[in-house]
Order: sequence, then structure tokens, then C-alpha cells
Amino acid sequence: MPPQLPHAEPGTPDTRGPLRYIWWLVRCQPGRVLRGGLIGTAWMLGLSVRPYLVARAIDDGLRPGDRRALLWWVAAIVVAGTALAYLGIMRHRTMTFVREDASARSAGVLLRHLSRIGAVLPRRLAAGEVATVGGADIINTSAVLTMTGPGVGAVIAYGFVAFVLWSVSPLLAVFVLLGVPAVVLVIGPLLRRLERVESGYRHQQGLLTTRAADIVAGLRVLAGVGGRGLFARRYAERSQRLLAEGYRVGAVNSWIEALTIAIPGLFLAAVVWLAARMASAGDITIGQMVAVYGYVAVLIVPVWFLLEGGYQLIRGRVAARRIVALLNLTPDEAGPPSPVDGTATEAGPDHPADLHDPDSGLTVPAGRLLAVAADDPAEAVVLADRLGRFVASDVTWGGVPLTRMALDEVRARILVADHDSYLFAGTLREILRGRADLSDTDRRAALRTASAEDVLDAHPDGLAMPVSTRARTLSGGQRQRVRLARALLVEPDVLILIDPTSAVDAHTEARIAQRLGAARAGRTTVVMTSSPLLLGRADLVAHLRQGRIVAVGSHVELLDRDPGYRALVSRDDASVGIHGSLR
Amino acid sequence: MSGLPVADRTVVRRAALGLIAVDRRAVVVMLVLHSAAAVAGLATPWLLGRIVDQVAAGAGAAAVDRLALAIGASVLAHGLLTRYAQYAGHRFGERAVARLREGFVARTLDLPISVVERAGTGELATRSSVDVTTVGSTVRDVVPVMVIASAQLSLLFGAIFLLHPLLGLVALTGLPSIVAVTRWYLRRARPAYLAEGAATAELTEALTTTAEGARTVEALRLGADRIAYGRQRIGRVWATRRATLALRSVFFPVVEASYALPIAVVLLFGGFLLDRDMVTLGEVVAAALYLQQAIEPLDRLLQWMEQAQRGLASFARVLGVGQQAEPAAAPVTAGTPRPRGPGTVRSGRLVVRDARFSYADGHDVLHGIDLDVRPGERLAIVGPSGAGKSTLARLLAGIDAPREGVVSLDGRPVTDLPPAERRRRIALVTQEHHVFIGTLRDNLAFAAPEASDEQMRAALVAVSADWYADLPDGLDTQLGDGARELGAADAQQLALARLVLADPHTLILDEATAALDPTTARRTERALAAVVTGRTVIAIAHRLNTAHDADRVAVLEDGRITELGSHDELVHAGGAYAALWNSWHG
Repeated sequence: MPPQLPHAEPGTPDTRGPLRYIWWLVRCQPGRVLRGGLIGTAWMLGLSVRPYLVARAIDDGLRPGDRRALLWWVAAIVVAGTALAYLGIMRHRTMTFVREDASARSAGVLLRHLSRIGAVLPRRLAAGEVATVGGADIINTSAVLTMTGPGVGAVIAYGFVAFVLWSVSPLLAVFVLLGVPAVVLVIGPLLRRLERVESGYRHQQGLLTTRAADIVAGLRVLAGVGGRGLFARRYAERSQRLLAEGYRVGAVNSWIEALTIAIPGLFLAAVVWLAARMASAGDITIGQMVAVYGYVAVLIVPVWFLLEGGYQLIRGRVAARRIVALLNLTPDEAGPPSPVDGTATEAGPDHPADLHDPDSGLTVPAGRLLAVAADDPAEAVVLADRLGRFVASDVTWGGVPLTRMALDEVRARILVADHDSYLFAGTLREILRGRADLSDTDRRAALRTASAEDVLDAHPDGLAMPVSTRARTLSGGQRQRVRLARALLVEPDVLILIDPTSAVDAHTEARIAQRLGAARAGRTTVVMTSSPLLLGRADLVAHLRQGRIVAVGSHVELLDRDPGYRALVSRDDASVGIHGSLR
Repeated sequence: MSGLPVADRTVVRRAALGLIAVDRRAVVVMLVLHSAAAVAGLATPWLLGRIVDQVAAGAGAAAVDRLALAIGASVLAHGLLTRYAQYAGHRFGERAVARLREGFVARTLDLPISVVERAGTGELATRSSVDVTTVGSTVRDVVPVMVIASAQLSLLFGAIFLLHPLLGLVALTGLPSIVAVTRWYLRRARPAYLAEGAATAELTEALTTTAEGARTVEALRLGADRIAYGRQRIGRVWATRRATLALRSVFFPVVEASYALPIAVVLLFGGFLLDRDMVTLGEVVAAALYLQQAIEPLDRLLQWMEQAQRGLASFARVLGVGQQAEPAAAPVTAGTPRPRGPGTVRSGRLVVRDARFSYADGHDVLHGIDLDVRPGERLAIVGPSGAGKSTLARLLAGIDAPREGVVSLDGRPVTDLPPAERRRRIALVTQEHHVFIGTLRDNLAFAAPEASDEQMRAALVAVSADWYADLPDGLDTQLGDGARELGAADAQQLALARLVLADPHTLILDEATAALDPTTARRTERALAAVVTGRTVIAIAHRLNTAHDADRVAVLEDGRITELGSHDELVHAGGAYAALWNSWHG
């Protein structure tokens, strides 16, 4: 039966190792794998029927000239061929279902993990790594499951042929039974050698892929500044190194290929020789001799499957190792979802409460709009990370340490809105998701607060307008205002905005500053900014210098009594930098 | 969703033949070796037929021994020839794959930037990883297999004809159904596999973007959304895979059932010929064995046909990158040595005439822009967000071509200038920057390949990149991808140092510091001051003080220039600019 994909619940993977992970993919679909094994076995056994029927056609029909018998056996050959074709396609379908179920399951658990792991992920992963895992590793891992069907069948078919051979001649049967392990033993070490060469090759291939991804990511820079030729050349050099590595892989691969032909072939020659000797001595018939040749030729199929399976296993293990490594990444930076000492989590305050950060001495008053002006904006980001528990800290909320609250509750109630937060592809309506029961009126209101109506007006589809990944078709200012609208729609108890207006023009910024306070009335809001327009509209302003809050008051008060603050915010009024040079 | 085209059949065929033509000798060697290997492989059934005849004629053990020894020798020859044939094929494949991926990257580098932005990096990343790899394994593994199988099949059927022409004829009975079903399959397979590839790329993109935006996913609790989105993609992949499986479910069984038919017919007809003494028993047995042996290469051929289809589909996607309806960019050229003396390239006069522009949705962003930029002047372009300032900057820099009208530099449309020349004369600095994986030197050198280490250090000093002093290995320090990561301001300074090295006469600054936080912005602006000296500067500004200091100010509103003049003139004119200025200064 075809699986129902995607899975409603992909399950909990075994991430203790690549092979355990692959085994988990098998355990998730025992019925289907069993069916694949049975059909695979029947198909493999079916392969040996034809040599038998051909032998009978020769011995009973052709040699004695018995037309009737010949006709019967020939008819049997056609019927058996059709049955084998049916078994063959059923095997392929079942194994495709097994692989697709595994691929969808891998994609499902990866998707779930990537969606849950959060902020720690970009710091831990190189660019292109997830693309490699999502693109090739999932498929290579699933390919290993092919072994479960024909792999099992191969072993059983082997035994069956040996059994049939026994009825022809015990000597031949013994020869086959001993010969097969010998063949495998010779080829085994070669496969291990292959693994070493192959892993070196794959490593370099991965690096090359990362380089290509790096070039793709930097295309805008190259378009602006030039240097495409240099990058093309440098990529070509790396590609040539991979080529040399590929030659080495080829040297080994081709020997293995030759040996997989020569070893079974020599084995076959020996069997034929023995059988021919027996036939010439009259111990077996000529038909039986031809059948023995056919059986051993048939045995090449299971041998081939086992070798191919070994190769897939090598590749799949490497691929599964990467999947497992990704699945084992943990969001440890912000502390565990519940307290470490095993005690129960505490609920956050059920009414608007002050947020307090002992490290900087900042107290965010409940229900007010607080602006934080930082001498070093990097410190503002660090402060926001503490207040939003993106790092472990001693921040308390209404007296409850954030680290003692359930992480999920913190995320639900305190939102840190980065100025470069990610915009996923979708319609504008999907991007402005917010609460579950949100109406388009709410969305339009939030867009208005963020002064982003122009985004909506510019497109005939309105809220249904498609937005690409990272909203590339929007301008920098539009993107920033869409982000702001999105954050507002979440309506968190505490909203922490980092530089929400850095990319918008003065006119728009003034409007946003004016509307933000009204939109967040009665709720706690923190704005990290040095824009006088936003600072002037805040209920309270705190000045952050070298990690400490050095002054708190209204914008006007601080301008008056804190010279450092005055110097900080006057930047926007004075002509500095490029403007200075323009004089 | 995919914005990148896929190559059509003709292009794919031409490219494939091109790969063979460029490595002709290796292909010939490979074909000769494979044919020799196939002949050696055929010896076994023929020798077995001889044994049957000898045994039937009552020959002794000595004759059997000789023939068996010959079988062993032929197997060894088969193995050795196969090894060298495979190796030759593998080397040819590796070279072809290297050419393909290098060509792919070269074409990617030539893509007009607007195309890249529309297509999405996930799509390009998939083509560069999955598709290039798939084409690679196809060329490396599949093509040799298909070559061998074809050689073996022709030899096998030829051998049956040699045994007896009538036997040869009846041996072909299985072919019509195989040919018919293969044609049926191949016609449908291509679009089906392309759809499968596209769906797979979308799933990869769903995973990649979820990882890239992981912090946002956590902060906004978008996990469930991302899972739902990804599940949809998994469902799509499954639907396309089932479609291709349905095709195979017809193709495979018909082919396999066709294998048995000729064996049966040859035995039956062989009995008829045997009765009339037209053939020997050994010949009929050999013919049946040849047919039995033909199953394996045929099977391989057909089994890999699917893989070849997949490879072909990937090949089309790889070749599709760089196929654009838009005017193709000039081929990648290294930064040519340039005259550096004063006055050589400083004369550029940028003129915009009635320029209109629309993005993919056909909705005009710019409605007829006319603008003359005087050499050496500082022009500020201001206006509300979404007025089309960045679009105008891209037209001025020659990154996009206007839908109508013209943007020219010294009388020549900027998009007609060779890219290297254009970048030498005009540079666009945006708020986006990228630090490439590699050394600091690598990250500077591409802007000016002939620059010395001294010049690079001087450029870093000019933009006050004081972090340079902290680097352990100086210019050889590795940056990016797990090595040292630069912060936004440092990265922007690096970008500016590249400009100092590139030395263009016109600089277009598109809110170069807007995405930076205020302190960093201040540092960067100081660095910028070092860069703009002595050049024509067009500054897109959202802070009006930039405009205040410029020689002239252009106010852009709703895709039109509504006001143009010096700051004082515009303030006195009392128009929109004056209103903006007053709201800013309160």
C-alpha cells in the first residue's frame, strides 16, 4: 500500500548513530518492509525458474524431438516471464514506497527540528549545509532501505539455488555454497577501501558546493564591484583539484567494477567446467548442465544486489551521519525549556509587571513605552537577548526569574523583534500572521501603525500579494516596516524592538513614532534606538553606556542633564561622515 | 515559483555532443575498450555451446578441460578490459563533470543580478548541489553503463544472426513491444521528472530558509507555520514521485515480460530447424543462452534509462542557468589592467532620459525619469520609502536596464558597457554586504586583481578598518564559514576598502549605512568620507542632512522626480522638500 505522505506525525528518530537512524526508518514501516522482503525474495527466486524451464525444454523437447513437450515448456517460459514481470514491478513499487516513506519521514523530522531549534542554528551551521542535507543526504539515506527488500531476497535466493543444485549434484552444491562466501570475502575489503576514497571525494565535493553557494550568496557584491572572473577562476581551480581526487576514486572504482565481473565470472567458469566434466562422464544431462550455467548466472543478480547494497550503505551512512548531527543540535544557549535542577517551572506574572535586568540595572516599567539609547548598539542587542531570554541571565519579570519560567511561555509573552528578522516566502497575509483569530482589518491597522500602507497600495492583490523569500522585491524601508507590523500583530505582553526605523525616511519615522505609542497603550514596549524622533515619543528613556544604565528620564530631561546622551542623539542632527566630506 | 529557466531539448543535445566532441580521443578509447570487453564477455556462452556439442558428440575430459580453460581466460580478459574501459570512462566523466560545474558557476556569475534575486538562492543552490551532482553521476556512472550495454547487445544479436539468420530474426520478436513502450515512456518521463526536480528543490528551499531564519522562527513562534509549509512541500514531492512511479509501473513490466518471449520463440523455432537439420543442438542452446545473456545488459540499459532521464532533467536545469531572454551579459573577463592616472576616467557624464521601469508584475515603479549628473558633483536623491530610489540607483549603476528610455554614460547606454568596464567606472554601494569564504586578501583582490599587499593595507587604513591589526595572519586570515566572522560594520568597511581598490569615478550610495546601528553607521560614514573624495557621488538618502550638504537634491516621489535643485533653492521654493525639511527639523 502506498504510504500517506506527509506523515501526520513523523515520530521520534533514534539519533544515537547513523545506522540506528536508518534502522529507525525501517522500524517505522515494518509491514511495508516485510512485504518488500517477501516480494523481493519471490522475485529473486523467480529468476531461477527460467533456467530450469529452458533446461526442461532442451532435455524433454528439443533433444528427443518431442514437439508437444517443447510447446508446453515454451508456454511455461512465457507464463513465468509474465509472472516475473509482475513480481518485478510490485517489488519496485513497494521499495519505492519504502524509500519515499523514509525520505518524507527524514524531511519531516528535520523540518520539525529546524523549526524548533531556534536562534542557535545559524551560529552552528555553515552555509549550504542544510541545503546538502535537504537535497542529497535524505535521498542517499533512504536508498539504504532498498537493501531490506531485494537484500533479504538475495540471501534467500542464494540458498534456494544451492538447494536446487543439490538435487542435481551435491558436489556442485557444496562448490557453490563455499564459493559464495569466498567471493564476498574477496570483495569486502575492496569496499572498505572504496569508502575511504569516496569519503575524501565527498568531503571535497561538499566544500566545492559550499563555495558555489558562497558565490551565489555574494552575487550582488560581485555585480557591484566586479571580480566575477577571479571567482570563476578560483572555483575552476578547486574544481580541478576535485577532478584529481575523482581520478583516484575512478582508479579504485574501476578495479572493483572489474572484480565484480571477474570474480563471479571465474567462479562461473569453474562451475561450468565441473558440470561439463560430469556431463561428459554421463552423471548429469546436457540440459542440467545448461541449467547449472543458468543458475549460477542467476546468482549474479543477488551478488550484484548485495554489492550494490554495500555501496549504498556506505553512502547512506555518511549521509545519515550528517542528518543525525543536525538532529542532535540543541538550543542550549538559552537554557533548557524547564529549570535545570529538576524543580517545577514557575508561571510568569499574570498582570503587567516590571522586567528587571540586574546586569545593566535596567528596569522596564510595566505598561509603558521605554526607549533605550545605547552608546554601542551591540550592547543594546545583548541587552535585548537577555530580556528576551535568548541567553541565560538573571533577568526577572515581576520577581520571577525568566530562567525559571517555561521557555515556551517566555517566547509567547516576550517578543524580541530584530531589525533584520527573517521574512519567509508567502503572501503578505501569511507573513502578517500574528494571533490565530486575526482579521484583515487588524492587519491593515498594524500596517498603518508601521506606516507601511504603501506596500499594500502598490500591489493590485493587496494582502494576497506574493512576497518572495527575504522579501527581495520590497525596498529596505518597506521590509523593515513589514517586520514592525508583523511584530505588532503578535501583541506580546512585552515587545522589544531593535532599531525598528533605521532604514526609513524621517517623514515616515515621525509617523511611526506617533502611532506606536497608541498601538501599544497599556502594554510594555522597549525600543532600542538613538533616533530623536522615537526617543522624544517614549514615556521614559534609559541611556546605556558600557553595559550599564547611566541615566533614566524623559528625552528632554536627559538632553538637559546627560552630556553623553546629548552627544549620542545629536548625531542625527549634525552633519557627519559622508556629509562632512560633501562640504 | 522557480524563476530560473530550464534548457530545451535542442540545447541539451548540443551541450551533450559538445562534451563528447571536446574530449574525442578519450571517447574513442573508451568505446574501443568497451567493445573489446563486450566481445570477451560473449565468449563464455559461445564456448559453452561448443562444450554442449562436444559432449553430445561424446568428446572426452581433455576437450572439456581445454574449453573450460578458454572460458576462464575470456573471463579474465573481460575483467581486465572492463577495468581499463571503466577507468577511461570514469576519467572522461570526471572531466566532463568538471567542465559542467565550472561552466555552471561561470554562467551563474554572468547572471544579471535581477534574475538571481527573482529566482531565489535556494533554487540556485539546489541546481548547484543536487543537479550538478546528479548530472555528474549520470555522466560518470550511467553513460559508461549505457555504452557498454549497447555494445554488448549489438554483439549478442549479431552473434545469433551468425549462428543462423532465421534464429536471429525470431530473436527480435521481443523488440517491438520494448521499443513501443520505451517511446511511450520517454515522451512522458521528461516533464514528469522535471516536475519532480522542481518539487524537490522547493522542499530543499523550505528546509534551507527555515534554518536561515531560525532565530525569527523561535522569536515569533513560527515553528508550526514552517512545519505546515514544509509538509505541503513534502506532499508535493510525493505527488510528483507517484506520477513518475506510475510511468515506470507501465514501462518496467511490459519490458520484462518481453524478455521471455524471444527465448521461447527461439527454442520453438530452433526445434523446427533442428528437425530439418538446419542447425545443431549446440547452436540453438547458444542462441537461447545469448538471449538469456541479453537480458542483463538490456535490463541495465532500461534501468539506467530512468537514471539517464533524471540526469537529463538535471542537465536541462543546470544548462538553464544563464539562459535568459534578457540581453546576455558579456562573458566573464578578468579585471583588465587599467590606466590609473588622474583625468583618465574621471570624465563620465551620466544622463537619464525618460527612463521607465517595472518589476516582474508589470507595474511601473519609475514613470519617466530625466536626470543629468554632472561629473564631480554630489547629488542627493531623497523621497519617501517606496518612491523608487533604489530602483533608480540600480538603473544608474547599469544593474537593471530601463523598460523604456535610456541611462547613458558619456553617450553610451550603461547596460551596453562591458560589465568589467562598467564596474570600473560606476560602483553601487548598498546596505548589503557579503564576506566571501577565503582569506582577507581573497576578499579584497577581486575588486582589483593587480593590487599589491601594500595597496590592500593602505585601502584598509583609508576606511579606518582598525580591526585589521587584530587579525592573527594579516591578509592571510581566513574569513567566513566557521573561520573568523566579521560584524556588519567590519564587513561594510571591507566592502568600502574594495571600492578604494576598485577606484571607480562614480559612486552610487544606496543608503549604504541604513542597515547599520547608529554607532557603527557613524564609523562607516567616516570610512565612506575617505572613499568619496574626488569622485562623482550620487547618494540615496533617507536622512535629510545628507541632502543639505549635497550640491543638488533630487526629490523622488511615486517614481517621478518632482523637484531638483540645491538645498537652499528647494527650501525657498516651498514645495514638498521644504515641507519634509521642516518636519525633520521640527
